[in-house]
Amino acid sequence: MLIRISRIAALFLALAWAGCTNDPYPDADKGRKVLYTSFSEVPKTLDPAVSYTTSEHVITGNVYDTLLEYHYLERPYKLIAGLAEAVPEPEALPDGGQRYRFRIRPGVRFHDDICFGARSPGQRSREVTAQDFAFQFARLADPAINSPVASSFVQVKGFQAFAKRLADLRKADPAFVKQAAHVQYAKAGGIEGVVAASDRDLEIVLTEANAQILYWFAMPFTTPIAWEAVAYYDGREGRPNFADHVVGTGPFRLAVYDKQLRYVLAKNPTWYGLRDEAASAPGVAFPSNIDPADVAAKRIDPAYAGRRMPFLDRVNFARERENIPRFNKFLQGYYDDGGIIKESFDAIVQGDRLSPDMAKRGMRLDREVEPSIFYIGFNMNDPVLGSKGGERSRKLRQAMSLVVDTETFLQLFLNGRGVPAQSPLPPGLFGYDANYRNPFRQPDQAKAKRLLAEAGYANGIDPATQAPLKLTFDMGNTSAQSLLESEFLVGAWRGLGLNVEIAATTYNQFQDKVRRGAYQIFRWGWNADFPDPENFLFLLECSNAQANSNGPNTANFCNDGFDQRYRAMKDMPNNETRLRLVKEMLAITEAERPWIELFHVEDFTLSHAWLINSKPMGLSYPAFKYKDVDPGMRERLIAQWNEPVRWPLALLVIGVIALAVPAVRTYYRERT
Amino acid sequence: MAAYLVRRISYGAVTVLGVLFLLFVLFFAVTNPDDIARKAVGERARPEVYVQWKKNHGYDKPLFLNREYAASNAKRYTDTLLFEHYRSMLTFDFGRSDADDTPIADRLLKGAGPSLSLTVPLFILDVVVAVAVGLFVAFFRETLIDRTVLVLCIFTMSVATLLYIIAGQYLIGMLLKWFPISGYSGDSSVIWRFLALPVIVGVISGFGSDVRLYRTIFIEEMGRDYVRTARAKGAGDARVMVAHVLRNALIPIITNVVIAIPFLFTGSLLLESFFGIPGLGAMTVEAIQGNDFATLRTMVYLGALLFILGQILTDVSYAIADPRVRLS
Repeated sequence: MLIRISRIAALFLALAWAGCTNDPYPDADKGRKVLYTSFSEVPKTLDPAVSYTTSEHVITGNVYDTLLEYHYLERPYKLIAGLAEAVPEPEALPDGGQRYRFRIRPGVRFHDDICFGARSPGQRSREVTAQDFAFQFARLADPAINSPVASSFVQVKGFQAFAKRLADLRKADPAFVKQAAHVQYAKAGGIEGVVAASDRDLEIVLTEANAQILYWFAMPFTTPIAWEAVAYYDGREGRPNFADHVVGTGPFRLAVYDKQLRYVLAKNPTWYGLRDEAASAPGVAFPSNIDPADVAAKRIDPAYAGRRMPFLDRVNFARERENIPRFNKFLQGYYDDGGIIKESFDAIVQGDRLSPDMAKRGMRLDREVEPSIFYIGFNMNDPVLGSKGGERSRKLRQAMSLVVDTETFLQLFLNGRGVPAQSPLPPGLFGYDANYRNPFRQPDQAKAKRLLAEAGYANGIDPATQAPLKLTFDMGNTSAQSLLESEFLVGAWRGLGLNVEIAATTYNQFQDKVRRGAYQIFRWGWNADFPDPENFLFLLECSNAQANSNGPNTANFCNDGFDQRYRAMKDMPNNETRLRLVKEMLAITEAERPWIELFHVEDFTLSHAWLINSKPMGLSYPAFKYKDVDPGMRERLIAQWNEPVRWPLALLVIGVIALAVPAVRTYYRERT
Repeated sequence: MAAYLVRRISYGAVTVLGVLFLLFVLFFAVTNPDDIARKAVGERARPEVYVQWKKNHGYDKPLFLNREYAASNAKRYTDTLLFEHYRSMLTFDFGRSDADDTPIADRLLKGAGPSLSLTVPLFILDVVVAVAVGLFVAFFRETLIDRTVLVLCIFTMSVATLLYIIAGQYLIGMLLKWFPISGYSGDSSVIWRFLALPVIVGVISGFGSDVRLYRTIFIEEMGRDYVRTARAKGAGDARVMVAHVLRNALIPIITNVVIAIPFLFTGSLLLESFFGIPGLGAMTVEAIQGNDFATLRTMVYLGALLFILGQILTDVSYAIADPRVRLS
């Protein structure tokens, strides 16, 4: 019996000895150009009319092509032609409107999919036409689709009228709703300002000039959509919903989509960029104008200049719900890129550079400031802090702005991963001035106390009550981290003698307070949709005020001078006049202080030596077509880093024996 | 026996109805459907979108009474959230997730496999190891071996499961590199690679309490007259411990084991989340984090249902394991 057990144990140990490996991937992947990365948040929808989060755009941006794209390497961001043959110039119309004409490239085809065979048996794909763009515009306007960016297209002629006609038809006739979407849109008459002049000519007519609308053509929202796909993938009879099934035109197709576990993007063999006639298209070859700084930092390999893309066979996304295992697997080499967890930040980054240990492994650290702003806002409708308080309130806001030390905040809470903000505009945008220093954003307690005294609150005392001025800092987050951050901010104001209380509620309750206007001070952030100062400054424009229109101007800031300049600059191309207007607007926000600008987030991305062209994508959505891997180097280094340590197995056996010996001895001692 | 079963099932049914009412109070009366809709479709959606979403997800009805209908009309009571809640839960028509509109039944079916692939081997190994070690230390009670194992048990009971997970991932996955730190594959040839580490961590974290329980049970049995009789008749130690002590200790073991069986389906919240196993436990954690009330409601209901089922199964198992127990 004992011998039999020993044999089984020996066999088990031998198997364990031989079979131990921490490699999470199948052997079949070895030697292939597969990029391994991870995701934590499950995409809610892959419908390009709706998907709006980073976790969704990382898929939609690579499987759906757009008429225009951002240049991968150039900063500030520059638009280049994608599915369109050229970036169109605006044409002024007699009625004050504007027209953009897009000429669509020939030979652009949808991914092979069975949806095309539903009406035409045997058909697997078809060529993209201007009608497919018009169909997607109709979807953007469709109230039932609930596109989060629908309001961005209200200047398209007939956009809102179409939405209303559609809603009215649906309300009037329940049978109408049961028809396929493209039939409903056709019966509703389509959008007047979206004209498919021919199969390859698309015209967009605007009711007023809008230079920024072109940026929307570089986002997946305006990608061509096949009506066949929307009609077929309806969630019935075992078919997935269109929100979970991609039929795009991009360089990759969605080969596997198990959103709880993994998804895989595979190279699309029918991509237009692989065809000979597309050789001159700017979006199909790796850019040649490479910044030497990118080469020196090994972010870009200059040997790729001019080479046809994509370079990868597959991009494999694995679900990692928790940060620690994700980061550890990156360190083992099983993910090609990744972020840095807070717990290991000091071990990875030392003095703004990679630690020597990490650098020795060939790792790279890429940093890029996101087009974003985090800020503290004052409710300008509040009688104490807002516009009605005139000079007194302005000086109070200025004093409060002067004591918020963003540098320390970033070091304490974000490992320094951010750039202290001097104005609402982040680096890389037109109008951003790297040398500008906002006089109210340089911590100066003495000046703040002086301003507070001038405001009538000497040492923070409210003369009306003879007690410290009581203010409320509202926040829609009750997490310990968020409370600590708020305590830091409130502590700075308490240092002035003010009595600022934190009112922490759930996000929904906070939203409710905002809707009711029952708030004084709040903290918020904004990520840009497109790289233009208008996309930040509109957050302070009066018609967007929360109190007026439930808009994104939560500070309810209304200033005639600001608004006049905003209206003048918003649709203007970037030139000297626009720059002057932007600077004047920033001067107004500097003095009026509706916000205390905190920081622009800085992304720290780690990548292994075998990941080629790892420059952060920023606003550029179809980033994977530019990337490549060296699978040979990866296999060699992973094998070197992950050789199993087997001696503890022997230790385990010794431990079992150590336990068995006294047992046997005890047994015989008691029995003899 | 049949009468007992009917009575027991009836008690269970009443408990289920009570649980459903508590769920209704928690998920409908306390939570505002507008907040759920806002979270699901976004803050800046148009009002008609909220209305449509609430209609699609059944949140548009009144709580208890639908005053649109006359008092004599049954719809006054059936076209309400309360009735719909009971109907959907009792018919297992769980509807769609509040977070991403996926049919919850599909997610349950998809998540049950990965959950079972983790919990079944973990459960079996846990029981086998705990019973074997319990029997072993009971045999060597009051010796150095017994005391050493007991200290080990107390130690393992004093450490939080999360620490085992992080330490296990670091030690076995990161330093020793024996198994992947996390991940999952449906491929049967490699699935063991992903399950080995969570199973080891699960067995170690449950080791202390189970071994102590079984040791106590075995020691109690070893003091009984039948053990002395067996020894007097010349039965060997192995036969006494396995054929007599273990067999007679089956009832408390079964109580502990059978009650846990139904919960194998609901998975393990922490292990699944940290090891990236797409099971029902991870789904529940995600529903909590994402305010997915429809999924959470379903999981709480299924948990209660399985607990009641476990209780009934335990009672029935008594009779099967020990004919001396008469349920009637």
